Amino acid sequence: MDEGPLFALPGRIQPQWTERRAAQVRAAIERRVRRRRAARWAMATSSLILAGYLGFVLLARPNPAELAIRKPASAEISRTPSTPAEPTATPLTADTELVVDPQGAGRAFVLRRGSARFVVTHDERRPFRVRVGPLVVEDLGTIFSVARLSEHELNVAVEEGHVAVLCEDSRAEIGRGQQRTFTCPAAEEHARDTPASAPAPTTPKVVDRQAAPAWRMLAERGRYREAYDSLRGASEPPVRDETHELLLAADTARLSGHSGEAVPYLRRVLVRHGNDPRAHLAAFTLGRVLLDELARPAEAAEAFERARAPRGPLAEDALAREIEAWARAGDAQRAHGMALEYQRSYPQGRRMRAVAKFGGL
Amino acid sequence: MMAFRPKLELVHSVVKPLASAPLDFDSLFERYAGHVARVAARMLGRDDADVDDVVQEVFFTALPRLGRIHSEEAARPWLMTVTVRTVHRVLRRRKWRRLLLGDSSVADVPATGVTAEQRALLARIYRALDEIDPKSRIAWILRYVEGERLEEVADACRCSLATAKRRIAAAQKFLMEVLGDG
Repeated sequence: MDEGPLFALPGRIQPQWTERRAAQVRAAIERRVRRRRAARWAMATSSLILAGYLGFVLLARPNPAELAIRKPASAEISRTPSTPAEPTATPLTADTELVVDPQGAGRAFVLRRGSARFVVTHDERRPFRVRVGPLVVEDLGTIFSVARLSEHELNVAVEEGHVAVLCEDSRAEIGRGQQRTFTCPAAEEHARDTPASAPAPTTPKVVDRQAAPAWRMLAERGRYREAYDSLRGASEPPVRDETHELLLAADTARLSGHSGEAVPYLRRVLVRHGNDPRAHLAAFTLGRVLLDELARPAEAAEAFERARAPRGPLAEDALAREIEAWARAGDAQRAHGMALEYQRSYPQGRRMRAVAKFGGL
Repeated sequence: MMAFRPKLELVHSVVKPLASAPLDFDSLFERYAGHVARVAARMLGRDDADVDDVVQEVFFTALPRLGRIHSEEAARPWLMTVTVRTVHRVLRRRKWRRLLLGDSSVADVPATGVTAEQRALLARIYRALDEIDPKSRIAWILRYVEGERLEEVADACRCSLATAKRRIAAAQKFLMEVLGDG
């Protein structure tokens, strides 16, 4: 092409590049350098912090000694597909008292109260154990929950694997998906205050009491409304003919607002387990239900009469309530006669004012 | 000749380590900032903040790479390449601004020592250059305004020699058509 004057013109362009302008550009470059350096520092610092945090999260393992004071995470059992290398224990209720057994080298706990879930990798050389009174639950590679029901009774639910329940020489095993209640009755007998001349207790045995029904677990945790719903919804007769369970069923009905349904359970205790020491309590409770909540004073009076075991802990209260019941039933003469009896037996009685009122003294 | 040899050896032994030493940013900036600003102004057809931005960007990009450039002479083509790339970005941005915002204002072309008629002609040239592809515009400026050789144009534009020629020819043809006999 021709390099004529037309196309030579752009070559005449000369920007006003002064020292001041150059200094301004240099200052801008330095500012950008400082900003880039600060950004790199911030990036490096945050990366280090993040790496440190991730390392802490990944490497930190639970210390079994801390589990005893850990708050319960949730009452619900979450299923874990595989077991970790170290055993973990999670309390399932707020009142759970779970402590590390100092003799177990980090693989044994004592469940003093409540219930807890355990995730354990089986180690034949170091079996994992949970002690509940005289009973010991030993893992055979598993995830399981243990609930302490009483001094000598526990409930075990196995999610994975097997566990063995031990009571001295006695042993029972349960597997995945099973839930059983065990007791150590001989140990229970032994634990009671028995005379020195009493015969020696028999060898303690693990007694499998079959699976504890849901309503019972709920009632023992004080969740009476849910227990009542579960009790009503059960397909099979859910309440066994045992004093403890009948009383618990009565409490479930009564404390969930269904007092009338408590009566049959309490009557059944009196009829079938009249010699049980808890029969007086059942009779007194029956009297209260009939008098206070069902307005059936005559029947209540009979129940209170039954509760009046001589020198029993409920004798004074039962007599006073019986007087009230007879008075409400319209039998003033009988109430008066019994009031005189109360006055003789308990001259300083706590219920003297009520007795005087209902007995016409 | 006998006396000349020792002198050559002495110069060689001193220059060699200096050549391999990393470049000093201050001296590089002092030497080439004006050149970069001039090339940018000729490519952009302006002498405004865009030129300052180009100079700043070129030397900010150069700063962490100083260790890889072993002489100020070697820095020149490299700085030219970075300048071309940066100017190309500015031209593209300017083109989009014209398309989207309708910004058709033409700044005063910073030519010194030209008549009013020549200044008007210069404005026409840059208005025409605004119409062509920025890559062709840059190649044409490098070749005919800066007087670079075709190989240097290709190096600066990071393209083949054939592509550089094609871009220059396209720009030249368009300018001839638009400006006619000038």
